[in-house]
Amino acid sequence: MMNTESFSHLWRSTWAICRKDIKLYYAKGPIVVTGVLFPLFLWGAFYIGRGLEPREGLASLITLTIFFTSSSVTPIIAPWETRQRTLEMLLSRPVKVTTILIGDILASTIFGLIFTLPIVLYSIVLGAALSNVLTAIVIITVTVIGFSALGVLFSALPTDTPADVVLLSSAVKLPLVFVSGVLVPLTQLPTWALSIAAASPLTYPTDLLRRLYTGDAFFPESVDIVMLMIFTIMFTVGALKLHEKTLSARLQRR
Amino acid sequence: MSTIEAVDLHKRFGSIPAVNGVSFKVKEGEIFGFLGPNGAGKTTTIRILTGILKPDSGEARIMGYDVHKDPVKARMLTGVVPEEANPYPDLSAWDNLMLVGYLYGLSKHAAGERAARLLKLLDLYEVRGRKARSLSKGMRQKLLVAMALIGEPKVLFLDEPTSGLDVLSARKIRSLILDLKNNGVTILLTTHNVEEAGELCDRISIINGGQIVETGSPDDLMIKSGLYTYISVKFDRPVDPEDAAQFFKDWEHRVQGSRILLICKESAEPVVRVVEYAKARSLSIIDIHTSPPNLEDVFVKIIGG
Ligand SMILES: Nc1ncnc2c1ncn2[C@@H]1O[C@H](COP(=O)(O)OP(=O)(O)O)[C@@H](O)[C@H]1O
Ligand SMILES: [Mg+2]
Repeated sequence: MMNTESFSHLWRSTWAICRKDIKLYYAKGPIVVTGVLFPLFLWGAFYIGRGLEPREGLASLITLTIFFTSSSVTPIIAPWETRQRTLEMLLSRPVKVTTILIGDILASTIFGLIFTLPIVLYSIVLGAALSNVLTAIVIITVTVIGFSALGVLFSALPTDTPADVVLLSSAVKLPLVFVSGVLVPLTQLPTWALSIAAASPLTYPTDLLRRLYTGDAFFPESVDIVMLMIFTIMFTVGALKLHEKTLSARLQRR
Repeated sequence: MSTIEAVDLHKRFGSIPAVNGVSFKVKEGEIFGFLGPNGAGKTTTIRILTGILKPDSGEARIMGYDVHKDPVKARMLTGVVPEEANPYPDLSAWDNLMLVGYLYGLSKHAAGERAARLLKLLDLYEVRGRKARSLSKGMRQKLLVAMALIGEPKVLFLDEPTSGLDVLSARKIRSLILDLKNNGVTILLTTHNVEEAGELCDRISIINGGQIVETGSPDDLMIKSGLYTYISVKFDRPVDPEDAAQFFKDWEHRVQGSRILLICKESAEPVVRVVEYAKARSLSIIDIHTSPPNLEDVFVKIIGG
């Protein structure tokens, strides 16, 4: 049962948490620099010098950018705020941990979208059709939400040491990049590698975007869409549930 | 209905029974104090009552809402100054306060109005733009009090609200606590400062080793402690020692010239007898004073025993 008053309460709480995150964690020089440079380097390392057309690499660049911006800050917020004892300050108020996490995901989503925007604009320069750009924005948004939630999911580890979570997230994130179709197009992968790539959440947004920008894709569109949705929902629900499970262990630390 | 109700709370950390069977009820508009040495279980009890920690067993209710089944409803009615939690060090005092206002569901306008009023009330308005990390301990604590009050709570939890503060900040907080009580707010505060507990609290529970050892008003506790009150009387002329000894035989006493010293567990009855004694013997009382045990003696006696 949701009356309008409790809805406005939820929205105000979520938005307040989101703005707090942006102020404290996102609007920071080093974060911005990392968010811009890291995916560019990674992408450049693989695509430049191979004589590929710029639009060939667009899909990979977008997915990498989303992956490294959206899931980079969310993992550290919960452990950091546990350590700082601000999480307990928040939770002494009438908010659920779920509301706080959705605020965190929202901030990360905004951050991810802002960093992807220049590439979307670049795609227009390269001659992408408007309808394709709009479709791309929808795909990008869903992907950003999913990867933001993935970052939050890592932080369910009930620790108050951000480095623990960073270690865990790097240990998972880098392999996910290498086993996906981001760095090497799926069409060029050997069959044994394909079955692994199918398990990476980066594979599907890349495939969807590649279809938009080059007309070329590996999986049927419906498979891409369903898999992208499944990953996004799985990460989001997983993050919220897992945090609820580990919250009391987290708050018990001193 | 009690405003705050704790029913047989238990909480262990590993092998430490931090809270071991704590039950109590706080009535509306009461200031209830938790007095105990460090490590007694005060903070753990507050963290359970504010829904931060789940008890191993037992129940906690705020105005009828179960804190762990209905946390948001219970916390809507509650303000907390936690002992171990902090404002965001890198947000300004103002932003910290507004953030908490939004968490109570306030609109920007309502939160802003309340924030300004509270900051002025607590002499923080001038420093509202400063980051919390740059505030003095006293200012930070007052900010936490403001954050606890922005939701206009019916129930307020204060965990060691004045510990380690400068005299002025501590006094400001104490006087605010009394004002809030007069406005009908129910308050549970913990302290290891005996004097503060005596000054503020209608009732006190003395807690030690995770258990409540004694509960009562400050006066009750003095009587329950079994400590002695000293009554010293000076008359206008010397008294007859044997006559006096006979008259005051119910109490331990000393007679010395024109002075009588009585040692007793409470003061009302002996004082009446002193007056009767003086009247019957046409003595005038030049001076009479009683020294009840102070709360600190009581505390030491109860904790020690
Ligand atoms: N999160 C925790 N982990 C382990 N032990 C704890 C924790 N919190 C409290 N304790 C232990 O429980 C006991 C009660 O602590 P606490 O409630 O903080 O007491 P007080 O507030 O009265 O000083 C102490 O022995 C303390 O060391
Ligand atoms: Mg304490």
